[in-house]
Amino acid sequence: MPQYALVIDLNTCVGCHACATNCKEWNTQAAFGPLSDFDPYGKEPTGVWYNRIFTYETGEFPDVQVFHLPKSCLHCQDAPCVPVCPTGASYKREQDGIVLVNYDDCIGCKLCAWSCPYGCREYDEADKVMKKCTLCIDRIYDETLPPEQRKPACVLTCPAKARFFGDIEDPNSEVYKAIKERNGFVLFPDMGTNPANHYLPRTETKVNLEEFEKHLLRPDNPLFLEVVKRHHVSHKAEEVS
Amino acid sequence: MHPPISLIFFFLTAGTSIGSFILMYFLELLSLLGRGGGLPDEVIYKLVVFQIVLIGLGAFGASFHLGHKLRAWKAVKRFRTSWLSREAVFSALYGFGLILYLLAKVLGLGPVLEHLFGVSTFILGILSGFSTAMIYASNRFVLEWSTSITVIYYLLMYLMLGSSLMAYASHLYKLPYLGTFLFLTFLFVALGLGFRIAFNVRQFYIKRPTLNEALNLPHNRPIRVLDTGSTTDNFCTTEFYYKKGKEMLSTVLPVAYFLTFVVPLFLVVYSWLTGVVNYWTLGITFLSLLFGSALERWCFFVEGNHVQNLFYGLYPEEGYRLRKGYMERKETRISLY
Repeated sequence: MPQYALVIDLNTCVGCHACATNCKEWNTQAAFGPLSDFDPYGKEPTGVWYNRIFTYETGEFPDVQVFHLPKSCLHCQDAPCVPVCPTGASYKREQDGIVLVNYDDCIGCKLCAWSCPYGCREYDEADKVMKKCTLCIDRIYDETLPPEQRKPACVLTCPAKARFFGDIEDPNSEVYKAIKERNGFVLFPDMGTNPANHYLPRTETKVNLEEFEKHLLRPDNPLFLEVVKRHHVSHKAEEVS
Repeated sequence: MHPPISLIFFFLTAGTSIGSFILMYFLELLSLLGRGGGLPDEVIYKLVVFQIVLIGLGAFGASFHLGHKLRAWKAVKRFRTSWLSREAVFSALYGFGLILYLLAKVLGLGPVLEHLFGVSTFILGILSGFSTAMIYASNRFVLEWSTSITVIYYLLMYLMLGSSLMAYASHLYKLPYLGTFLFLTFLFVALGLGFRIAFNVRQFYIKRPTLNEALNLPHNRPIRVLDTGSTTDNFCTTEFYYKKGKEMLSTVLPVAYFLTFVVPLFLVVYSWLTGVVNYWTLGITFLSLLFGSALERWCFFVEGNHVQNLFYGLYPEEGYRLRKGYMERKETRISLY
């Protein structure tokens, strides 16, 4: 069965919040909007966001690393928020695995938010219903859009190209390959929720020195003579030894 | 967790209604089996009307927890999977059962229908309380709640409220069951105290997840939250973490213990030993239990720590962290700050 999901590359995510702001911009005016804001220009602005970016630091000084974690609904394959909903407003679509909320049936009891270990559902105080990431379902099936635009707003806007979208059950999809080849992982694997959204771990950046040396030995390199000289000196030293 | 006042109100009203009906109807069942003389009809009428008013008030009060009150009827749709749906169905049926039982009594429809409605309402009352307790106990992401102690204690509190009210009613209507209800009040309050202490002690021994587990990182990697995406609170930080409540918990919890357990136990034992039973002792016992239970429910919510707080660095800390080349065990720091 298809399972649409996001795959987020923590190696390239720069924590710019562009995905969160574009998500808010698209969804506040689209089919699942608005995402209400309260006191937006005041001292205590609050509101509904489908996507939030967390920043963590690992390691101990001086060996520390900072990484950013964009977190939206993970569209769990065993979503714990779905069976607890008393009205059936919260449901998981069979055709693509997307978890949605039917606003016309939601009574705003908040029990689904209590049953989400990721804190990915937010209550809209203005509309009195629970809201969450829809994977931009109103974009991905919109045939009036060109095919390359039929992706979630956060994926399209990411300037670092750290977000991928697709069917994680399809072996030919970009996201399937990314998860397999780069050891994609999920949040809270012990909670038995089987999240669909995956994250690609940070990896050590490597520089290909061979390519670098070739570039140095090109005749148009201003340091060409110096490199040759060093090369010559090092070889001479080897011969002497 | 942020304590919803409407749910505490529902607990008090539904608990008093269901607890007193269970004990009241139990006397009727015993009389059916030839034990005891049951209750006079006038007393049953008054008590059942009171119980109907209470469950009605409770349902009305609980609707304030909902965003859309007028859609509350839709809550029957997921009876098969949702404990909240089951609670709604059983509570509503319990209310209707009370009305039918009262009608059967008033209209004299005969003992068969009377006890048919009575037994049904008796079972529905227990199922309603059980379903409400299971809403909390089945939530595996609030580890403090996710235990059978929650359910047993919840039902005991219903019985505590019911038995103390029935003791007052016995004295008011000069019924011969005063001693029985005093004993039952003592029994339920003492058992309740034991389970509440167990609930509190258990919190110190829960194996809590860490931020490393949440982020799927190795356990020995030190990690800390730098930023949570916004400068102000949001739904997740206000609903799942009640900062003011956490600060007040160390004051409120002893008061809740005192009013829920110490005062009623003292008054019941005092009544037993001295034989002094009057409206004051019985009334204060019930009111103390009522206010104490409200505070206890408030503490129950504030004591609950949702695992999503890990992402915000608001969860009690536990686990390992790397310090100066070796791993040291971090002690659990929990609620009684």
